[in-house]
Amino acid sequence: MRIGKRKIDTFPYLMCLPAIILFTIFIILPFFDGLYMSFFKWDGFSEPEFIGLRNYSNSIHDSLFWLSMKHTFIYAILVTVIKNVLAFLLAYILVRKVPFQTLFRTGIYLPVTLSYVVIGVLWSWVYNPTFGLINSFLTMIGKEEWILGWLSDPDIALYSVVVVDVWKWLGYHMVLYLAGMQAISKDYYEAASIDGANGFKQLIHITIPQLNSTIVVNVLMSLTGAFASNYDIVNVMTGGGPANSTEVSLTYIVSNAFRYSNMGKANAMSMILFAFVFVFGFIQLRIMSREDGYDV
Amino acid sequence: MTFKTRRTLWKCLWTFILLIFFVISVYPVVWMFFGSLKDTNEFYTNIWGFSTNPSWSNYAKAWNNAALGEKLINNIIVTVGSLLVLIPVNSFASYAIARLKFKGKRWIYMYLLLGIMIPTGVLGIPTFTVALNMGLNNSHLGLILVYAAQSIAMGVFIMRSFFVTLPKALEEAAIVDGCTRFGSFVKIILPLAKAGVVTQVIFNGLTIWNEYFMANIMITSQHLQTLPLAIANFTGQHTTDYPVLFAALSIATLPVIVIYVICQKSFIEGVAAGAVKG
Repeated sequence: MRIGKRKIDTFPYLMCLPAIILFTIFIILPFFDGLYMSFFKWDGFSEPEFIGLRNYSNSIHDSLFWLSMKHTFIYAILVTVIKNVLAFLLAYILVRKVPFQTLFRTGIYLPVTLSYVVIGVLWSWVYNPTFGLINSFLTMIGKEEWILGWLSDPDIALYSVVVVDVWKWLGYHMVLYLAGMQAISKDYYEAASIDGANGFKQLIHITIPQLNSTIVVNVLMSLTGAFASNYDIVNVMTGGGPANSTEVSLTYIVSNAFRYSNMGKANAMSMILFAFVFVFGFIQLRIMSREDGYDV
Repeated sequence: MTFKTRRTLWKCLWTFILLIFFVISVYPVVWMFFGSLKDTNEFYTNIWGFSTNPSWSNYAKAWNNAALGEKLINNIIVTVGSLLVLIPVNSFASYAIARLKFKGKRWIYMYLLLGIMIPTGVLGIPTFTVALNMGLNNSHLGLILVYAAQSIAMGVFIMRSFFVTLPKALEEAAIVDGCTRFGSFVKIILPLAKAGVVTQVIFNGLTIWNEYFMANIMITSQHLQTLPLAIANFTGQHTTDYPVLFAALSIATLPVIVIYVICQKSFIEGVAAGAVKG
């Protein structure tokens, strides 16, 4: 009998249920647990003690935390700009007919498949002062005066790590830009050529505007990536040193949690980091959930 | 200068730039393999080239000293296990969101997409706490569930974009054939979204195979370590014996590179697929 309310169709909900449960337990719950525990003093073993906002005020007055945040910002901005400019350039070249196109694409993409740990160890050796590739190359071309302590000089170490991050992800962003460029209709360029627009004009007036959303997605992905997943590479290559010159927020947070057994402060700092990343994540979410003509 | 020579000149310049980036991208990896075949002496004297007297003994040493066989199996367990969880979970949810009509659908979709806003780095410490309370730390199951959960936001987003492109009358045709709705989904609709499944296998498989941050936080027993953990530890212990270290790196990297070279097309397109639609 179906009087009044229609029977609710449970099938769609059952299909969504496993994802909702997993996601709630391992993403949403930890997030709120982190927020909650950021108000406690806790070493990871004994009974947590409520201390209000003290973890936050401790973090805010911790000069090392701000130093690590500053490094995170420098790192993120450099990585984002260099990655995107180079990837765009390479895609711009690859999209036309060049010899060995597939070989170049496959090769430049290769580092994307490697783990940060392998890359970190490998590049520590590339940077090795006496036997590393870079310094031995500089000796070979007779530029000994350019030889630097790539990872041992506190003024340079952070930039050396930035180079490795760019190296790893360049191919990834290149492929995204390439896919975007290949999707632009040839008609635009033909029309522009007939109107006498040269290559540079076509780049400014067709390619870049047409790639608008691709550029935004690439920039956001590199920003969030550089802000919140630089732990691996820094930990493997420098461990935050020398003299804290490569300490980024994540390495500092993990040190606080496990080396100094200060879980509460680590959580508070995670939340502060989240507040910074939130903005980029929010824009990315808005773009991704944009209407695509199919009802959501 | 004629138009044609100018074009040839440009082409040379473009190719040259690509060549430089190609060498910078590939050579360090090639160099790693070269180094793994040298003895300690040659490693320091013949820096750039292939070994004059290649030997596989470093591989045997690395394999035995770091118990890499065990770690390799751990890595396979965790990666395959995670994929076995996340592929059905993400496919079910994204199918419902893409193709079924029900109340609250938009809210469920937005809720799952929130994961894109919360980067894993921020979740490291609290995930440790939650897993601790559930007794899931220091276990492969714990890692598998965490990895699967972390894949949901992107996974549902990517899979949904594949499901929405399928023709609208598909479900009706499938029901007429006498399947249950779940049966018709598994037998008829999911195979049509095979490209989406492949994308997820590649995208998540690669991420999980290489994952270090969460594994480093959650796994403490040596015999449960995944490959990236083992490599990082091994580096700490063998800072002097570089050829052996390079052999260990090569062992960890080789499976991925072989798969990548064999199916580089679907590899590259798979990873690009999700982001481009954004």
